[in-house]
Amino acid sequence: MKPAKEIRVGNIIMVDSKPMIVLRSDVNGSSRTGFTYKWKLKNLLTNAPMENVFRGDDKFDVVVLDKKPVTYSYFADPLFVFMDTDYEQYEIEAENLGDALHYLKDGMECEAVFYDGKAISVELPTTIQRQVVYSEPAVKGNTSGNVLKEAKIENAIEANQHIVMVPLFVSSDDMIEIDTRTNEFKKRA
Amino acid sequence: MNHRTTQTSLALFCKVVDNYGDIGICWRLARQLEQEHGIAVTLWVDNLASFRRICPQVAIDRELQQIGAVTVRHWSGQDGAFTAADVADIVIEFFACDIPPAYIAAMAERAPHPVWLNLEGLSAEAWVEGCHALPSPQSRSLTKYFFFPGFTSKTGGLLLESGLLLQRQAFQQDPAAIAAFLSQFGVTPAEMASLKISLFCYPQAPAPALFEAWQNSGVAMTCLVPEGVAVDAVEAFLGKQAQAGASATRGALTVRVLPFMPQPDYDKLLWSCDLNFVRGEDSFVRAQWAGKPFVWHIYPQDEDLHHVKLNAFLQSYAGTTEKLAEFSLCWNEAKKEAVDWATLWPSFAADMPKIAIMAMDWQQQMLANGDLAGNLLKFAETVR
Repeated sequence: MKPAKEIRVGNIIMVDSKPMIVLRSDVNGSSRTGFTYKWKLKNLLTNAPMENVFRGDDKFDVVVLDKKPVTYSYFADPLFVFMDTDYEQYEIEAENLGDALHYLKDGMECEAVFYDGKAISVELPTTIQRQVVYSEPAVKGNTSGNVLKEAKIENAIEANQHIVMVPLFVSSDDMIEIDTRTNEFKKRA
Repeated sequence: MNHRTTQTSLALFCKVVDNYGDIGICWRLARQLEQEHGIAVTLWVDNLASFRRICPQVAIDRELQQIGAVTVRHWSGQDGAFTAADVADIVIEFFACDIPPAYIAAMAERAPHPVWLNLEGLSAEAWVEGCHALPSPQSRSLTKYFFFPGFTSKTGGLLLESGLLLQRQAFQQDPAAIAAFLSQFGVTPAEMASLKISLFCYPQAPAPALFEAWQNSGVAMTCLVPEGVAVDAVEAFLGKQAQAGASATRGALTVRVLPFMPQPDYDKLLWSCDLNFVRGEDSFVRAQWAGKPFVWHIYPQDEDLHHVKLNAFLQSYAGTTEKLAEFSLCWNEAKKEAVDWATLWPSFAADMPKIAIMAMDWQQQMLANGDLAGNLLKFAETVR
């Protein structure tokens, strides 16, 4: 059993005996009782999506599924196609990719997750590097260490282009490291 | 009163962490659900001594008692046997307290399952709207729902008894009633004529510095502080023990210690004063319904997370002026730089008439959201 605070996007968990894939996780503070975890889930048996909330110490069985290293190959609307080292292809629906969609890049290495013999999702490396494709220049005088600005990062599908909050010193074309668990900037690469 | 043919039952579980706030909120909610909606309420509370401070009828040595029409049970631990017949139609865990496992097992046995709510803490943060009323599936086919009080129509609203604002208006329009109320605590006519301030805060509040600023302000003021609150600062000012009835005057400031009082009297205290310092959640909400300027001392959290909540409230509160925001941040030590209270206080005091007018606008906004008890019951109907 794992507490909610340790569950990651892409994990398959049992919620009231139903297998659910975590598509999105928003951690919200700051209740006296700890953080509130708002998850977008999908029932793997019925494909029904749902939004639920949990306390950080609510516990779940994490289903250990088969995984296989794959690379992102191409987009065959509406499916994303991944390929393993034997050139076998796996198609995964966009909605099952959850937040991973924001970070997909041609040739990207990740792990395909299988349920009942079918590839249902991918898990990303914890840290990835991406190029900033656009960020407004810092405004003179905005020098406080805590000030953040938006940065668009490179992505396989422009429509999924993602925005990460970055410090002011980050510029367009910079390579940055991002924590895929929290969608947060870690450092300039 | 809206009594139903078959009375709906409701169990409210309260674990007291913050001395009076938790039970304060639960007791108000329990009474209102019973009195205004005809619900058969059982209030489970783990600390009867704290409960007694705000409700003197509570016997602290009884497992089971009736207070008014509310059944009060001492929640003495997580053990205990329950059957489906023991489970109420609506079960509320307040602030995500862990209700006894056997009670949850009995909930699963009950047909139909009860409506299970986690009543969360009050916050103006934007994420609350997105989490309010969402389900939280549990084992054994039970579903819990998170229910958030709040300041917008996308939340559960604020606790408000139906007659409260009329009672407040009648009281505030009756100088004799105000004088009679204050005089029972020894407040003199001269003190009544001064700027009256109630003070309820956590121990770390910078009360000594504020006392000094008030003392030297040149404006006569009377600070009314319940026994047990800001003890160090009050005793230093008084030069003696801060027992109910004690008072002292230094410079422009008189500090007077009041007995800890039942909730209806605390409301009257808020209505009687020109400025109220409140803390936590319960007195914070009551100060908003008092329609007077108030300064909130927020329950402290690790990593200063409470400052995020404070800022979220100050940004949404219609009564916020620049001076109130600055004063509130300083009172909660959310500013890193040293505070010059002697300068800060008069600039804030000059804004008080404006803040008082804006506080009434805020009430109208809050009224439009409905009240927490009514909203909670409406929601329970939708998921039953």
